[in-house]
Amino acid sequence: MGNSPLAGSQTSTPSKIDPNQIPRPMPGSSIIIFETRQGNQANIPPPSSSDFIVKDTGNCSPRLMRCTLNQVPCTGDLLETSCMPLALMVQPLSLPHPSEEPIHVVDLGESGPLRCSRCKGYINPFMRFVDQGRRFICNLCGYTDETPRDYFCNLGPDGRRRDADERPELCRGTVEFVATKEYMVRDPMPAAFFFLVDVSMNSIQTGATAAACSAIGQAIADLPEGPRTMVGIATFDSAIHFYNLKRALQQPMMLIVPDIQDVYTPLHTDIIVPVAECRQHLEQLLESIPTMFEENKVADSAFGAAIKAAFLALKPTGGKLLVFQSVLPSAGLGSLSLREAEGRTNISAGEKEAHKLLQPADNTLKTMAIEFAEYQVCVDVFITTQTFIDLSSISVVPRTTGGQVYYYYPFSALSDTAKLYNDLRWNISRPQGFEAVMRVRCSQGIQVQEYSGNFCKRIPTDIDLPGIDCDKTIMVTFKHDDKFQEGLECAFQCALLYTTVYGQRRIRVSNLSLPCTSVLSNLFRSADLDTQFACFLKQAASGIPTRSLSQVREQIMNLCISILHCYRKFCATVSSAGQLILPEALKLLPLYTLALTKGIGLRNDGRLDDRAYWVSHAGALSVPLAVPMVYPRMIPIHDLNLKEEDGSVLLSTLPLSSEHLNDEGIYLLENGEDCLIYVGNMVNPDVLQQIFGYTSVNGVSTQFVLEQFNNDLSKKLNNVINEIRRQRSSYLRMRLCRKGDPSGMLFLSNMVEDKNPGGLSYVEFLVHVHRQIQAKMA
Amino acid sequence: MAEFLDLEAQDGVRMTWNVFPGTKQEAEGCVIPAACIYTPLKPIPSVHVLPYAALRCRICRAILNPFSIVDYASKIWICPFCFQRNHFPQHYASISEDNLPAELFPQCTTIEYDSSPGIGPTVPPVFLFVVDTCVIEEEIGYLKSAIAQAIELLPEKSLVGLITFGTYVQVHELGFGQIPKSYIFKGSKEMTKDQILEQMNFFAGKPRPAVGVVAGARDGLSTESIARFLLPAAECVLLQMVDDKTYRFHVLEELQKDPWPVATDQRALRCTSTALSVAASLLGVCVPGSGARIMAFVGGPSTEGPGSIVSKNLSEPIRSHKDLDKGGAPFYNKALKFYEGLSKQLVHQGHVLDLFACALDQVGIAELKVAVERSGGIVVLAESFGHSVFKDSLRRIFLTSDYDLGLSFNGVFEINCSKDVKVQGIIGPCASLEKKGPLSSETVVGQGNTSAWKMCGLDKKTSLCIVFDIARKDGPDAVGQSTNNQFYFQFLTYYQHNDGHMRLRVTTLSRRWVAGPGSSQATGFDQETGAAVMTRLVSFKMETEADFDPIRWLDRSLIRLCSKFGDYQKESPSSFSLSPRFSIFPQFMFHLRRSQFVQVFNNSPDETAYFRMILNRENVSNSVVMIQPSLISYSFHSVPEPTLLDVTAIAADKILLLDSYFTVVVFHGISIAQWRNAGYQNQAGHETFALLLQAPRDDAEAIRKERFPVPRLVICDQHGSQARFLLAKLNPSVSYNSDNRVAPGGDVIFTDDVSFEVFLDHLQRLAVQ
Repeated sequence: MGNSPLAGSQTSTPSKIDPNQIPRPMPGSSIIIFETRQGNQANIPPPSSSDFIVKDTGNCSPRLMRCTLNQVPCTGDLLETSCMPLALMVQPLSLPHPSEEPIHVVDLGESGPLRCSRCKGYINPFMRFVDQGRRFICNLCGYTDETPRDYFCNLGPDGRRRDADERPELCRGTVEFVATKEYMVRDPMPAAFFFLVDVSMNSIQTGATAAACSAIGQAIADLPEGPRTMVGIATFDSAIHFYNLKRALQQPMMLIVPDIQDVYTPLHTDIIVPVAECRQHLEQLLESIPTMFEENKVADSAFGAAIKAAFLALKPTGGKLLVFQSVLPSAGLGSLSLREAEGRTNISAGEKEAHKLLQPADNTLKTMAIEFAEYQVCVDVFITTQTFIDLSSISVVPRTTGGQVYYYYPFSALSDTAKLYNDLRWNISRPQGFEAVMRVRCSQGIQVQEYSGNFCKRIPTDIDLPGIDCDKTIMVTFKHDDKFQEGLECAFQCALLYTTVYGQRRIRVSNLSLPCTSVLSNLFRSADLDTQFACFLKQAASGIPTRSLSQVREQIMNLCISILHCYRKFCATVSSAGQLILPEALKLLPLYTLALTKGIGLRNDGRLDDRAYWVSHAGALSVPLAVPMVYPRMIPIHDLNLKEEDGSVLLSTLPLSSEHLNDEGIYLLENGEDCLIYVGNMVNPDVLQQIFGYTSVNGVSTQFVLEQFNNDLSKKLNNVINEIRRQRSSYLRMRLCRKGDPSGMLFLSNMVEDKNPGGLSYVEFLVHVHRQIQAKMA
Repeated sequence: MAEFLDLEAQDGVRMTWNVFPGTKQEAEGCVIPAACIYTPLKPIPSVHVLPYAALRCRICRAILNPFSIVDYASKIWICPFCFQRNHFPQHYASISEDNLPAELFPQCTTIEYDSSPGIGPTVPPVFLFVVDTCVIEEEIGYLKSAIAQAIELLPEKSLVGLITFGTYVQVHELGFGQIPKSYIFKGSKEMTKDQILEQMNFFAGKPRPAVGVVAGARDGLSTESIARFLLPAAECVLLQMVDDKTYRFHVLEELQKDPWPVATDQRALRCTSTALSVAASLLGVCVPGSGARIMAFVGGPSTEGPGSIVSKNLSEPIRSHKDLDKGGAPFYNKALKFYEGLSKQLVHQGHVLDLFACALDQVGIAELKVAVERSGGIVVLAESFGHSVFKDSLRRIFLTSDYDLGLSFNGVFEINCSKDVKVQGIIGPCASLEKKGPLSSETVVGQGNTSAWKMCGLDKKTSLCIVFDIARKDGPDAVGQSTNNQFYFQFLTYYQHNDGHMRLRVTTLSRRWVAGPGSSQATGFDQETGAAVMTRLVSFKMETEADFDPIRWLDRSLIRLCSKFGDYQKESPSSFSLSPRFSIFPQFMFHLRRSQFVQVFNNSPDETAYFRMILNRENVSNSVVMIQPSLISYSFHSVPEPTLLDVTAIAADKILLLDSYFTVVVFHGISIAQWRNAGYQNQAGHETFALLLQAPRDDAEAIRKERFPVPRLVICDQHGSQARFLLAKLNPSVSYNSDNRVAPGGDVIFTDDVSFEVFLDHLQRLAVQ
């Protein structure tokens, strides 16, 4: 029990708390080498935000799968007592560190991967071979199978198969099996990308169409090479315009589908063609689309009909549908209304039922999305808008089809064009798979309770992922249906059957085997803060559309208090009632909980679309990005020149408290999506000149493009930003915040440790938590 | 007979009875109804075109004509129809017996008025091509070149549009600069005019006007929005030649086969009806009321949309006459209903539907007939778009030459008649305007119940069959009127001449009543017209009357006619004879009974519909050729001479030229064929043989040149398989079970059909009873 350090004051009076002593995230600076197992024991993974290199020695990399608890409670009662969740965050295609060994591809020929004949679990290092290797016992269900003759191998003196170290599937936590015919209902699909661009009046006039076309034009260069990469494009306003890209034609030909209630695809072939055959046509077309529709006076936008029509074109193969939408879908199938305004005018109902506006307006888009998923069409939506667009309704489509929403609000052609291009480029070039099916198996004793993330679920055990990429995370929660024996291990196995962009069918199998414990303090010691917080974040996000914000906030806070109370009650040795005692592993939980309640999602004053985006973003967010989303990084940049670089470009961060903001300073704040640069009102003009090229920030617009000037400071700043982009796999949306104007207020709203109308200060919150625990103890 | 031809040459009119039966009862006794076949736009070299508006009677609206009685002194004319006295207006002030306006010249019974010569902009005609793409590549190629050629031949100012269809309907935007563009409509869905307006971006983002009819440039549509779809032909042609990057060129060049896959046991999805509906609505939106043709090129049966004629499944055959008779054609009535609706829309808009059906299979002419015929469209049936019947016919439509069709638009046809004559209706390419007047008879035949008809499309040869009704009852006053036994017809045809102006052609005729026994009724009988009218009537009855037995009806009519007008002693068949006025009528009826119009079971419903549509627009002499083909015999011994349509005409050393209107057959006797195969015609000393071979070919060419649709040419030899085209038309006087012996070198027809001689025997026996 020595692992329960004290933090905070010795007494219960808030004035005695030293704000500098309270727990804050401390980024580790050096690279950690992490072996997943040592001495037949699972190692506790390093924090997700730290820099580490994984050596797969039996358990999979924590990048692929992380559990909220690194020891599994033997009984359901124990888990309930602890109040902590038992969940896996699965990111099956996550990006490895460049220095990590690549995942082995195992081809077992026609017989395919060896599987347990009862639970269908895949062969893994934890399956035990017995009877001189003639039989093996499944680590998931405990069934004993005959070893097939051609997989037979003698056992060594240590009881392991002699070939265990030569066979990756017997010594690695993660392997990728080559799928046999058995795993295919049809030939693996080609990588088909279909672009759908809004060309309604607003979209043209704000430059969104031009930005989208230019982004697509540049990004097609990064499409996976090969004859199996297909591409197509359509535009839409109140009608849908397809383009015949057939090479034989001298020019692409526009085919207009005017019926937006009952849509169809105008051609059977030639709308989606191999990219190698149509590059020229496509480039020519993308160049001319903005001018072609220059005079477009059609204000309506038939989003629902357009995605349906594009889906029909993609239906024979499946593929990715990338939609660029700029205005509220106002016409045709699945059109939406200005619910936000309706909500405002009807205040009384609005207050009580506000969360209903975060549910989809109706079932049309959901029904469509389920059909899309069935035919392996994954939809990503790029929202380039300056107005309300009803994201809660629109986001249903990407959520159900394994896609995602990109949100550029308010859209600025000047600053967002680059981000749009980079987002699109990453979207199509990142590691990804198609027509995927995923299933998580676990040892007998617990069972999967629920999956959550962006997917479509048709049968209880599996989830369908028309598209899956390295950024998407799926949360899997578990519940006990039996007991474990102390000392044994509980195994988790995630199998993802998918098609690569080059048309190979693969099964990626990741295994995680964790010790079981019946000791509560072991649970606290092995708790994984980042994973648990990601779990809370997702639970909060899924609660927002169904409950009022205050209820969701209260629930999150109560969860935090209950966990800490349990620790205080059962595990803490110090008995002084006046002390707030935090478990070491979860010492930042109060801070993150506070930040979460003050975030865009749970804040009372947020825009409806912003909150809807927050909800949709959180749904598939990975563990390393969960914390920054509510507790961003703040870095002073005015004095970059003064600091020594010790190998890493990134510098120490500041707590998110306005006490640390200086009027002479410039601060960068990033949460993986947005990058706010705050400029105090007494900054040295020289510094401004070096960074922005102006001596006063009044010359710089709020949405701006950061240029690199020929001076050290500017170069260093650019290096810092590029490093953040690399870490986050995201091109940040830059925004300039000036002290004393609304943009400055935006920045200050991120100072979650401050007391503000939205909630308590960090210190106050700790006191609040403490009082609550005391009340419970009493 | 010759006098009837003279009358036709002067006025374009031929009547069954040139002397009218005096009473209703007598008319019924005459068996053949009083009817006339009128060719409104028949080119008459001597016709005057008057550059002013016609002068009308202020009561009955009839037009001043040579039969009007003029009182020169008081400047008054009396209308011959209603006997109203009308004052001449001011500009007729100088009228006198020596100074007559042309419309009063006795020979000017037919005259034209062009009241606005040289004034104002003329509306260019519109040609909207509707092209089937569900055909094999080869056919697409033929179509491309045929249409390209047609566009080149079009008058420069005329507007051209293009719609292609297969599984979907594709409306091509021709006037779009940057990139070729087309609108795609679902084949299974009917489109209304309003939907076309909404969906084809005619308002360009502006709200649609709240009230009023929205159509055409005059009613709220911008010319630019119309010009997207209808482009002047000159631009099409020019662009093609000058700049190969422009769009027009592409559309035709890149015309592709319908890309949707078709299973081997399925028919292609072809939405003919939807395409035509979209075309009609597009024209209704863009150019309502001005001359426009939808030219549909169809290469197979419609299987999609409201007008489909057969299911997609190849195992289900396309309906036959038998299916139609037995009600075994599940699609037929629905399609018919659809095309009736379409024909109403077309007539309302004043637009024409032309049909070029080129397929080995049926395409649905039987269903489409109503829309084509009521709108006055042209129909051509051929086996392939590469066949000369199609290619030459299409070229003929646009070619300006002596044989051009003289396509005119937007016609309205009206009739004025003296009291006691009513009109039952018109069988022909027109649509009733439902303007019921005292003129319209209670009995309706064809397009009736009106005194005005719409002819959206008409040409030089369009001939209407007008069926009259004698309303005069037998009674004392009938005899009293015998002093004034003249009566009058006036036919008025307004139409858009191909120079763009509206013209009015007026034909005024006078005929005589006769009444009572022993009248000179028989002298007025025109047996050719009689046969033509009977053919149109029997076709009409077969189409409209359930359980109609055409053979029985024709036989009974013929027997009654012979009983009434033949000379004979009762019960003595051998004493029977017919006057020359009637003598060949039985022969016409004999061949009519055997013709494609009555013996429909030898043909598909499409073919029958096609034959009838052509029949219903042809003049008397061509109708007679359809009923009883002409046969010319060529031999060394004599000049080419017409010969009896009989199997005995066949001889080994003769060449026969058969003209059955739709087919022209050159038939070589067996010896001729052998000589020709031996190549004698190329040897010196056999020039006469070469000439003999060439003569029927030249004559056949001459027939093909002046006929529309261009007939199919069959060149065959005796005993060859193609010889059936001749044998089927011949009187089987020598058959395997007849007593007649085969002449040496002659031929025999294997049939159970009775020969003309047997037919005549029966007729004589029955007529004298």
